[in-house]
Amino acid sequence: MRKFNALFDAIDSFLRTPATVTATGSHIRDCVDMKRIMITVMIALCPALFFGWWNVGYQHFTVVDGMGCAISFWPCFWYGFLKWLPLVIVTYVSGLAVEVLFAQWRGHEVAEGFFVTGFIIPMIMPPDVPLWIVAVATAFAVLFGKEVFGGTGYNFLNPALLARAFVFFAYPSVISGDKVWISGGNDAVTAATPLGMVMNGHTEALPSTWELFVGTIPGCIGETCKIAILIGAFILVFTQVADWRIMLSVLVGGYATALLCHVSGLCPVPGYQQILMGGFLFGAVFMATDPVTAAHTRVGKYIFGLLVGILAIIIRVLNKGYPEGMMLAILLMNIFAPLIDYCVVQANIRRREKRYSQLKTTRR
Amino acid sequence: MKLDGLAELQTLEFPAAPFYYIRPSDFRWLTPRLLVAENDPVEVGTPLFADKQDDRVVVVSPVRGCVRQIVRGAKRAILALVIESETSAAPFRIVDVPMPSNSQDARTLMMQYGLWPMLRQRPFSVIPNPDAQPKAVFIPCFDSAPLAPDYNQLMEGKEVFFQNGLKIIRMAAGNAPLHLCVREGADNSLFERCEDVQLHYFQGPHPAGNVGTQIHYIDPIAKGETVWFADPQDVALIGRFFAVHELSFEKMIALTGPAATTTGYFTASYGADLTKLFKQEWGREELRVISGNVLTGAKMEDFPTVRFYDRQVTILREGGQREWLGWLLPGFRKWSFSHTFLAWLFPRKSFAHNTSLHGGRRTFMMTDVYDKVFPFDIIPLSLLKACYIKDLEQMEALGIYEVDDEDFALCEVVCPSKMECQQIVRDALYELKMNS
Repeated sequence: MRKFNALFDAIDSFLRTPATVTATGSHIRDCVDMKRIMITVMIALCPALFFGWWNVGYQHFTVVDGMGCAISFWPCFWYGFLKWLPLVIVTYVSGLAVEVLFAQWRGHEVAEGFFVTGFIIPMIMPPDVPLWIVAVATAFAVLFGKEVFGGTGYNFLNPALLARAFVFFAYPSVISGDKVWISGGNDAVTAATPLGMVMNGHTEALPSTWELFVGTIPGCIGETCKIAILIGAFILVFTQVADWRIMLSVLVGGYATALLCHVSGLCPVPGYQQILMGGFLFGAVFMATDPVTAAHTRVGKYIFGLLVGILAIIIRVLNKGYPEGMMLAILLMNIFAPLIDYCVVQANIRRREKRYSQLKTTRR
Repeated sequence: MKLDGLAELQTLEFPAAPFYYIRPSDFRWLTPRLLVAENDPVEVGTPLFADKQDDRVVVVSPVRGCVRQIVRGAKRAILALVIESETSAAPFRIVDVPMPSNSQDARTLMMQYGLWPMLRQRPFSVIPNPDAQPKAVFIPCFDSAPLAPDYNQLMEGKEVFFQNGLKIIRMAAGNAPLHLCVREGADNSLFERCEDVQLHYFQGPHPAGNVGTQIHYIDPIAKGETVWFADPQDVALIGRFFAVHELSFEKMIALTGPAATTTGYFTASYGADLTKLFKQEWGREELRVISGNVLTGAKMEDFPTVRFYDRQVTILREGGQREWLGWLLPGFRKWSFSHTFLAWLFPRKSFAHNTSLHGGRRTFMMTDVYDKVFPFDIIPLSLLKACYIKDLEQMEALGIYEVDDEDFALCEVVCPSKMECQQIVRDALYELKMNS
């Protein structure tokens, strides 16, 4: 049975709070632990997920069956749920298998980080992505994004985004183009995401700003409804789980760049619509704010966020090959986050040294 | 942080203790060299052990009596000297001592009569080197920790002694500036009447009362510098000795805590056996009696007594009760600095804190929680990581000389990864001290 220690411990502490008491240091501790933080993130993701279920069904019935607005709420919801369920099961089984294996091997507890990662991965996939690809991508992300570096907390790339990037580069046909965004479609049915339209220059067919905002558009499961994402952002900021500094600076950086691109004539889409398109908002709220892979210092967070926003729009506008720049922008900045932190820390060291020497001279 | 069990403003009857436990571990990193043997008679002020690094630094007996036992632990380390007191004896001894005239004089007399350990130096919070010159002296005159005692209560009737003590310390410190740090808005008349001191007003929650915070804002410590600090009551004891020649170690201590049956203030010398005071609570498994406050105190295990520098006893309920799906419940009664439990929507006056860890140990994950409770211009996460891997150069650059483990107590409390921040910093400071 010793072989299953990690699994047993994980289930035990999942069901009941641990019995440990403080041994050194402070005698009382905050009731919050990583489990509570992770469950809060999952709750914040739920509005976007629920809308995603409905929207998958809605897009399917509208485009494939041509039923227009005649369909009622529950069939859409149910259809989307059934599309999502196998995805999430496959993600969790594949990811947790790797997680538990490594926890057992290294002799530590199973970290709860994967619960959120596994929750997010299906939300940033197209609804019809083949399950085996999801399984391979998840295992890859957990293994090479996290475990080879030592597990949760030591990773420098956001594992969920890494899974998406893996699919994007290894199996581009299932996650790009016009044919993958409507569930149950065939080759005859094409529905471009707004970003795809912009890339191909079909800006006249763009959905209205209102549709972009509400989310009745084709796209990944979780990314379309901006209202739901904003509710999630509200939950994250008010529970103090995610840092508002990053969210705000991503938005500022992204909007400013999009505005510049629009004014300078590089891109026909107005700035605010860029923000509402694709996974920009989802990435800003749920992915860029990952505390482990974002910058760790306060000032660093502002810089990190600004650069994510700027890069995301630049990739979108200037690189015709990749309509969605958010994923690559966040991953790129994940790599640069330690550098940003290094600069901020050095600045802090210099500032304090200056203060010491100033005080020394005033004493003399 | 709200806790039940603030000490009431009442004086608790505490009869003279039969036993005194003097522990070398109260003094950080002090290696004792014994100066007495078992069954030796001792007076108030008889040296019990000296610091192996410097023979002049001695710890003395706070009572008159007899050394009953020398308790040793692993590797024959001295855990405690048990002194049986003559309960009829007065808690002080008259010593005819001249008023010191210069710094060296003052230091020698303080060391000779065991008053020197009342001073401590930053960095490291150790007993100061008797030959070093501090750049400043800090007297933190309020405590902001949970259930902290009221200093006006502690200092009642000691004002003249306190002022005299300040004079002696200033002389010993070679006229280094003396900083008194008080709470803004509180009744500080006692401290405001002191002469030749710099008064600083602090506001805000804990750790505003920590001496580390105060030093950081007034005169931060760079590498190679030292400052002294002392507790106001100890200053008054030093003053009392030189003013009226009474050598005494009696201090006022607060009995507090949500699980204490009675709370209040009592007077005792350090090392006094306090079992009479908390008869009902002592020895019960479901309770934890702490010397000091809940953030930095130490659990009383073998010896029911307060540590040399503590002015508070806190009694808490032990935790460890398991809860079904605890991470999922709304948590109306759960205290958290974050807002992840619904309790923050319904502010309560206080919470039933216990000693549960409330979670499993993880790696550093949440990167902004420390900043919220760490008022230094130091990046706490970077410093902790440097301490963790004992990168001495990086620690120095990041400001290790300004902090002590107690400054990280709140970081430790709010950490969702349940990092033992104080232990990490303490170990790192030890490494640094050994290498310097």
